[in-house]
Amino acid sequence: MRKIWLIIKREYLTRVRSKGFIFSTIGLPLFSVGIFSISLFLATRATDHTLKISILDNLGGLSAQITAGLQGKLPNGQPQYNIVKILDRPASGEEARRQLNDQIRAGELDGFIEVPKDVLEGKSALFYTRNSGDFSSMHTLNTAVDNAVIERRLSDRGVHIDDLTKLVHGVDMTMVKVSKSGESEEKGQTFVVGFSVVMILYMTLLVYGVATMRSVVEEKTTRIVEILASSVKPIHLLAGKILGVAAVGFTQYLIWGTCAMLISGYGSSMASAMRPGASVPNIHVPTSLLVYAGVFFVVSYLLYASLYAAMGAMVSSEEEMQQVQLPVTLIIVVAFLLYPVIMRDANSTTSVIVSMVPFFAPILMVLRIALQTPPFWQIGLCLLISIVTTVGIVQVSSKIYRVGILMYGKRPSVVELMKWLKYT
Amino acid sequence: MDAIAIDRVTKRFDSVVAVQDLSLRVEQGAVFGLLGPNGAGKTTSLRMIMHILVPDEGSVQVMGQHASDQTQDLIGYLPEERGLYRRMKVREALIFLGAIKGLGEAEAGRRVNEWLERLELSAWAEKKINDLSKGMQQKAQFIGAVVHRPALLILDEPFAGLDPVNASIIKDIMLELRDMGSTIILSTHRMEQVEMMCDAICLVNHGRSVLAGDLRSIKKSYGKNTLRMEYEGDEKFLQRPELVEKVNRFGAVVEAKLRPGAEPQEILKAAVAAGVRLTRFELVEPPLNDIFIEKVSEANA
Ligand SMILES: Nc1ncnc2c1ncn2[C@@H]1O[C@H](COP(=O)(O)OP(=O)(O)OP(=O)(O)O)[C@@H](O)[C@H]1O
Ligand SMILES: [Mg+2]
Repeated sequence: MRKIWLIIKREYLTRVRSKGFIFSTIGLPLFSVGIFSISLFLATRATDHTLKISILDNLGGLSAQITAGLQGKLPNGQPQYNIVKILDRPASGEEARRQLNDQIRAGELDGFIEVPKDVLEGKSALFYTRNSGDFSSMHTLNTAVDNAVIERRLSDRGVHIDDLTKLVHGVDMTMVKVSKSGESEEKGQTFVVGFSVVMILYMTLLVYGVATMRSVVEEKTTRIVEILASSVKPIHLLAGKILGVAAVGFTQYLIWGTCAMLISGYGSSMASAMRPGASVPNIHVPTSLLVYAGVFFVVSYLLYASLYAAMGAMVSSEEEMQQVQLPVTLIIVVAFLLYPVIMRDANSTTSVIVSMVPFFAPILMVLRIALQTPPFWQIGLCLLISIVTTVGIVQVSSKIYRVGILMYGKRPSVVELMKWLKYT
Repeated sequence: MDAIAIDRVTKRFDSVVAVQDLSLRVEQGAVFGLLGPNGAGKTTSLRMIMHILVPDEGSVQVMGQHASDQTQDLIGYLPEERGLYRRMKVREALIFLGAIKGLGEAEAGRRVNEWLERLELSAWAEKKINDLSKGMQQKAQFIGAVVHRPALLILDEPFAGLDPVNASIIKDIMLELRDMGSTIILSTHRMEQVEMMCDAICLVNHGRSVLAGDLRSIKKSYGKNTLRMEYEGDEKFLQRPELVEKVNRFGAVVEAKLRPGAEPQEILKAAVAAGVRLTRFELVEPPLNDIFIEKVSEANA
């Protein structure tokens, strides 16, 4: 036991202190926060001054409605648009356009809208501007012209726009999740939480499973493994390695989780400070979901990490490692490809069957629980299947590991592998 | 109680029989040489003593106990394929090696410092293993094998890659450990080192023991049948096939193996007659190198 602890500790400390770990753990949140702030900064900057625009209305009589649609305010309270000039049916559209263009070039104007004469028949309106990347104001302008044109068409037929709005006003639908503990308004949180757990599981299996394998191969290529095997039981070595790498993953998630909580806490307080009354949706997750997800998460991790470790023990170089990791990775990917089946109907016969298949069971059950709590016997059966598989695989892996760590050269064939399992 | 008692051990890998019906004993406090040509099964035997491999047949006892996880901690091991955690710092890596052999970490730290001092590696204690030269890594690995003061020290080619100064430091440490009561098992292909250090040997070939016992009595059993000479002049006087079986030249020293019953006196006469100036003329036991070659080719014939 003391020796397992030493193995875990060494594995953990050397990893956590490595540049790679520090970089990915600190770097990733910083990077995403950085990207977020930069885009936020740019988004607010783009509209932080009032745009001076003119309207060239070749049809006539639309400018009032268009102006009404451009009354938005900037965050600093200034109007978004300043309508400098309205040209209602000028004598020469050509001449007016040329003048306005000159003003834009001279910097006196940010842009102008040109409404063509036959706009009611479907001809496009135009917005002339120097800054062609400003899509958000393009959208506002478009809506304003759009509404003005629709209103005109309606009033030509004697319909008032407000009547129409009342008539076509739709009905919202809210989803209510029915579960044993009662009814609660479903805002998609269980699904989001289930799906996040599943994505994290997927990442963890691939990233840390492969890290475990890499660590096994590294000990083989550096030949340190012979010294280890002369001091520690192979099964303890395997256990220490899997748990050490898992602890590193846990640390990383803990750091990220804390960061995310701090940031979202900060974000929501910022949001309510800026706009009183606004609140970030309060995520409510049933504890049972978290407990089940946790259990299946751990079981899947042990299963796949020991499979990866066994694969690592079979090879003696990085290149070969790429080849042997493929089958394991494939099983994981296939399990995740079955997700749509379960999403469509979590309690269909197909869903129930695929969630009982040994290697898929722990991965798929997490999602089923998140979508719709399955009958208890199914959870129990799935857990039993998963645990039996895991115990079996850990045993087989530790045998392969025990023999494999001292083998160099050729990768064993399946027949040879069977022989390894019989070695004492 | 013997330090090691191997009894009729066989170990197979698929089709290869790596060790076959091997029995050997190593007395406590001895320096024991395990010799044999490449692929003879030396490393495999050592791994069975280390309990890294388990024999298919027969038994291995270490310090009177069956080889097991418990006996592993009694042994210090310098494997033939050297290996350390390359990205760990020297001191840290060695403390880890001491700790997995059962030392407390504080105690391991103290001893590692002493050893680093003694092997002149203190300046490198906080450097990564990767930054050390091959010979320095070798010394660091040696510390890893002895830091927990094992009762039994197993060294597979301990001098490979060391300069003469470091080789002699390691040799002195080995003899010192032996004087303090440790038993040392040495596997090497350098016969002059075996002659210098070992009390007893076992020569294995194709997994079988072909010669075993006390080194001095083995050599004595061959009798003084070799002439060791240094001279100036024409070596024609040695071309006497009826007297001399084989001649080996080592720079200035020439060794001539005599045929059974040949008179060394005859050769001396021939040398004097040929006007050769002899500075050394000595009748000795055959060197271990010759015994090795003879035994192995005999077994392969
Ligand atoms: N893990 C293994 N798997 C398969 N065969 C092995 C294994 N280890 C050793 N052998 C075989 O057993 C035989 C003995 O090998 P061993 O390494 O014990 O030789 P050795 O005496 O140490 O040789 P050397 O002087 O070259 O180090 C060889 O034929 C080798 O191929
Ligand atoms: Mg060897």
